[in-house]
Amino acid sequence: MPDKRRSLAEAIATVPDGSCLALGGNTLHRAPAAAVHELIRQQKRDLELVKTAGAYDVDLLCGVGCVSVVSAGFVGYETVLGLAPMYRRAVESGEVEAREHACYTIIAGLRASSQGVPFMPLNGLQGSDLVSLRGFASVRDPYTGQDVVVVPAIVPDVALIHVQEADADGNARIWGSAFEDTLMARAARRVIVTAERIVDRAVLAAEPERTSIPGFLVEAVVEAPGGAWPTSCAGLYEYDLPALEQLLAVSDEPPALRTFVDERILGAVPAR
Amino acid sequence: MSANSPVRADASLVAAQMAVALARLLRDGETVFFGVASPLPMVAALLARRLHAPGLVILTIPGGVDPEPPVLPISTVDPRLLVGATALITLADVFDLAARGRLDTAFLGGVQIDRAGRINLSAIGDPKRPKVRLPGGAGSAALMPTARRTILWRTRHDTRTFVPELPFVTAAGNVDRVVTPLCVLRRVDGALDVESVHPFSSPDEVRGSTGFTVTASHETPATPPPTDEELSVLREIDPAGVVAAELQGR
Repeated sequence: MPDKRRSLAEAIATVPDGSCLALGGNTLHRAPAAAVHELIRQQKRDLELVKTAGAYDVDLLCGVGCVSVVSAGFVGYETVLGLAPMYRRAVESGEVEAREHACYTIIAGLRASSQGVPFMPLNGLQGSDLVSLRGFASVRDPYTGQDVVVVPAIVPDVALIHVQEADADGNARIWGSAFEDTLMARAARRVIVTAERIVDRAVLAAEPERTSIPGFLVEAVVEAPGGAWPTSCAGLYEYDLPALEQLLAVSDEPPALRTFVDERILGAVPAR
Repeated sequence: MSANSPVRADASLVAAQMAVALARLLRDGETVFFGVASPLPMVAALLARRLHAPGLVILTIPGGVDPEPPVLPISTVDPRLLVGATALITLADVFDLAARGRLDTAFLGGVQIDRAGRINLSAIGDPKRPKVRLPGGAGSAALMPTARRTILWRTRHDTRTFVPELPFVTAAGNVDRVVTPLCVLRRVDGALDVESVHPFSSPDEVRGSTGFTVTASHETPATPPPTDEELSVLREIDPAGVVAAELQGR
């Protein structure tokens, strides 16, 4: 296979403004932060973000004006730091459209895409206003005559996924929880993987059952040590609470936020 | 303590009462799930497994089945929740399990809760242009109608939380109980009412703090306070007081 290793700048330069991006990880854990930081560095605009439960990644991209739509089940820093203030402000001002989903409807939409079908039936959502808010239709089951709610396919243009190990062909393995990442890799048109380290092909070949994202699905792989920082990366580092607290402390002051992003985030030597 | 008393129970006492009240609701051998931002349900599930429900099957977002975390995380998506787990599943597996009728109990939260036990986690004001954009319902809209039973918890009990009408129904479904800092509510015939009042609260306080009509009087039972055994196991599971942090937090 061709060598798919790219620099972070090269890989992210292929992401056009207006793209729909699936972001791997979940809340404070294994977010594709290095890729997110590069999106900011390259001043991408009008992005749509897709994730079951986002925190730092979604919040920061909203805070620096890269986003027009967020399709997610949950955006917040959990009990650790509470609401996502930049996302919240961007939605309340009308700058960003919050397309709230249930996490399961994100999964169902990605499943439809991964299976090449236009929509996915789903059991759930009974009594929820999300059905009318999202305009989810029901169809009649041709076999039983019963109605079932259907979720349209969600087809991300690019999935951005951070993993612990990958090889030069893009074969990737995730330690611990995969969250929706392996599904995203099958639902998106293109996949960009960032990895804590690029390992020799033989390392993955010794245990192929641990490769959850096969390289043939991956367009580019970037070595990005500390690439989930300031979120956690299982087996390697925990989320960086002081950094997140410092970010949120300046999140409502645009000049201070800009300085923090430039100096601490874009200029930071990633923690390991 | 009377309703006129300005003295508030301290967070660790309230947290312990809520944790044991939640734990006591769990049954041996059932499957239970908790999602994002759920320290109290996490502690309650671990507590129940140590006390009366050794066969509890604990499911989480990171996917570790029956974890035995030596140190509790505050984030309930944390990789620490894989420690000691005997199998690794995914969040999609949990939704699928519920969808096919095999998830017994889901712990879910609500920023606002109405009399029918429906919840709003989406927005205050017009959901398309909200006054306050809330975090979103995460898994609740899918799990509340499909899990056999939902137990809600909320770390505040006031008339802004318990409202007569929700601006937006994020999720509705099989709500059984709601555990709050003041009481346990139970849904009977489609409506929440007070089942027991915590020892440090009062029927007057509960009624005055609830934005719809509930019946609580001097005849309403008191929630049994934590036993010595419950408190001792709780301290072992949660020495750092993660549950109290949730009560004091955001």
